[in-house]
Amino acid sequence: MAIKRLFVANRGEIALRVVKAAQALNIETVVAVSDADRESAAAKMADRAVVLGPASAAKSYLDPRLVVHAARESGCDGLHPGYGFLSERAILPRLCEDHGIAFVGPRPDVIEALGDKLQARAMASAAGVPLVPGSENIASGADARREGDRIGYPVLLKAAAGGGGRGMVIANNGDEAEAGFQRASAEAEAAFGDGTMFMERFVPEARHVEVQLMGDGQGKVLHFGERDCSVQRRYQKLIEEAPCAAMSDELRAKLHKSAIDLAASVNYRNAGTAEFLFDVQRQEFYFIEVNARIQVEHPVSEMISSFDLVQEQIRIAGGAGLSVGQDDVVLSGHAIECRINAEDAARDFAPSPGRITRWDAPTGEGIRLDSHMAEGAMIPPFYDSMVGKLIAHGKDRAEAIDRLVGAIDDFVIEGVPTTLGLQRAIATHPDFVANTIHTRWLEQVVLPQFGKDAA
Amino acid sequence: MADSALPENLRYLIEEFNRSGLRELHIRRGDFELLLSHTDHAPSAPAASRRPASPPPQQAPQAQAPAAPPPAEQIADGLPEGTVAIAAPNLGTFYRSPKPGAAPYVEVGQRIEQGAELCLIEVMKLFTTVRSEVSGTVEAVLVEDTAMVEAGQALFAVRAD
Repeated sequence: MAIKRLFVANRGEIALRVVKAAQALNIETVVAVSDADRESAAAKMADRAVVLGPASAAKSYLDPRLVVHAARESGCDGLHPGYGFLSERAILPRLCEDHGIAFVGPRPDVIEALGDKLQARAMASAAGVPLVPGSENIASGADARREGDRIGYPVLLKAAAGGGGRGMVIANNGDEAEAGFQRASAEAEAAFGDGTMFMERFVPEARHVEVQLMGDGQGKVLHFGERDCSVQRRYQKLIEEAPCAAMSDELRAKLHKSAIDLAASVNYRNAGTAEFLFDVQRQEFYFIEVNARIQVEHPVSEMISSFDLVQEQIRIAGGAGLSVGQDDVVLSGHAIECRINAEDAARDFAPSPGRITRWDAPTGEGIRLDSHMAEGAMIPPFYDSMVGKLIAHGKDRAEAIDRLVGAIDDFVIEGVPTTLGLQRAIATHPDFVANTIHTRWLEQVVLPQFGKDAA
Repeated sequence: MADSALPENLRYLIEEFNRSGLRELHIRRGDFELLLSHTDHAPSAPAASRRPASPPPQQAPQAQAPAAPPPAEQIADGLPEGTVAIAAPNLGTFYRSPKPGAAPYVEVGQRIEQGAELCLIEVMKLFTTVRSEVSGTVEAVLVEDTAMVEAGQALFAVRAD
């Protein structure tokens, strides 16, 4: 049954994004806020805001019972978890089911299964999705050489009992594998009392690609193309784009099929993302994990597909099924997103909450801004420091980059430092423009230089 | 001092102060001193422009963000003159009685001691007892039995001794 009143169990830009999507579908909204978010943009735009508890997330946004109680008592028949907070905690959809509230997301058992990395890998393997090539346990130097030859170099030798980087060795050929085994195994024996090793293919310059999925819960799953999120700092994404321009159409088709096969094998319901490691040199991809929620970077997929994924999520949760078939999803052009955080680059990107004293947002062809901020708005110190997402779409990657850089130059934010300066440096870097980057490029190439030229 | 030059935590504190209904807040910590006041005839300068005795630390750690004032003092509107509010600590369902059919914990006009049980707030069958922070007399019950209340919402008006 179609949702009539939707509870928004999140904050920041995604709460506002969900409210807007619901309003476009003529659905009433109730936004949950903590005491620190009483004046948030989402709270103002929604039909109603209810104060869950104090600023501390543990006593407000992260308490599933409190959240579902508030949803039920405010008469909501649907609940959108956004991303982060409780979005991938199975207890939230379980409580929703217990209280007759439609959860905008996957079934709890699927969230649980995919949240367990080993179980998710097993499910991927069963669905025929490629995993990083690896070995069983290795007990001798000769074993190491044989397995290394089979897997292909370079390989990473890891202690079976290991962790924390101890007993880890990279080997580029058979001799190194044999010698590396002796050394790492002895180290592991000393550290963990167990010298057993195993081996995985090592991809020195990998890209991070992910496929946007949407399932009806009955086994029908659509993809909305892939995203390339290789610009990362400490595993945090700074720039995301769609499509992955470094991938051939042939491989892209295989990637989409793998992601769909995996999601269909569990009758996946609602929005999700299958993440992969992309070895550009070998033109191969390996499964990493599934994120069972809408992601921060979903707008780039919306920009190239012209679908509103959050509206689609709400319709599916209301029982409407998928509104289209795969042939109706036509991807065009290129989109790039900057995740703008209030962080101080001069202080090792320390989060810098505070009040926005000036906010002149860019507009223009192909430019989209998803943000809950405005002049005078406060970024409270209790939560993440994202102030918004700037997205540029163009007919191709070059045009998207041009528009993005122009929009960054037009964007004036005062009162708090932001990551936009770094994002401009990335978007104009020759390696980024030539698209020869990988997941460690930002840390290895850009950051050591960043800020030094200007100083 | 320009507003933008204040450390972020300090500005947050001022905002919380403005919302809190508190008349005056005085903090002294080492050689740092701050007075926030809404009192017109206070001998000091207006709240936000009062200079600290010395420059505040440039990098106040985030964990030191000031705690919000007690919820009871956030609600000043609509209370009988001279009473204090007892507020809900979190969102939940308001119950005046320990169990259905039983007499309410307190009635209007009743004298209560500090720490007296006033009501229950229920979240998914988990009941939290709300106690009075002051000794005095219950002047008003501000919420209907079994209604949903929000965090910080005033439940009782109590005239303190």
